[in-house]
Amino acid sequence: MHSILAVDDSASMRQMVAFTLKGAGYNVIEAADGQEALDKARGETVDLVLTDQNMPRMDGITLVQNLRGLATYAATPILILTTESSDEMKAKGRAAGATGWLVKPFDPGKLLDVVRKVIR
Amino acid sequence: MTQNPTREPPLPDNGRDAAQECAAIEADLERLKTIVNDAAGRLLGSFNEFVELEQQTQRNSEERLRIESAIGTAVTALQFQDMATQLTGHAQRRLAALESCLRSLYGDGVGAGYFEHSQPVRQSEMSAGSIDLF
Repeated sequence: MHSILAVDDSASMRQMVAFTLKGAGYNVIEAADGQEALDKARGETVDLVLTDQNMPRMDGITLVQNLRGLATYAATPILILTTESSDEMKAKGRAAGATGWLVKPFDPGKLLDVVRKVIR
Repeated sequence: MTQNPTREPPLPDNGRDAAQECAAIEADLERLKTIVNDAAGRLLGSFNEFVELEQQTQRNSEERLRIESAIGTAVTALQFQDMATQLTGHAQRRLAALESCLRSLYGDGVGAGYFEHSQPVRQSEMSAGSIDLF
């Protein structure tokens, strides 16, 4: 079973993401901000990271940069799921090493399609 | 002659009063956040209950597809709380900055009484409202 680390400071967003992913058979590990996500990622390897951008303590792009600095996460797909939709922010995400940029709100079917496409 | 059924607040006529109005708007936005969070909590609770019961119910394939489609639509819509909270928070920060700027330019406002206008929404949660029969 593939494991996905879902990161968002909104509890309702984490609930909707977890509901969607668990319903498709994925194991979901949740984190409420980038720092918590980084700590959990160091503790166990996951197959995909799905993170919000605007979060306290550590934002999504900083999380991506930190994860890419870890040998075990050099090639892990990392998707950013955020309300931000500007080309500038997308470019920052790509430059940081993100695999993809999804704009909220997500459609469950489309999210699962993307996850299936990038997860190994 | 048409009558305005809602007693709208008078417009501030100087910078100090505008600063007070900003503070009042910030307070309204905070109450909006409270209402949105309460509504989202209740909706999510009902959603979870429905899904749990639905998983125990026998359905034919057509019904199953329709229900899955409806659940998908609900999942997308239930993300409103996150977006609404971010928007109101952003608006509050901008108002706070505007208020600070106005206060620095004009000083504090005229005080209580000026903004004693009607509050159309006094609820702070989304439980059903009271009913009075006359």
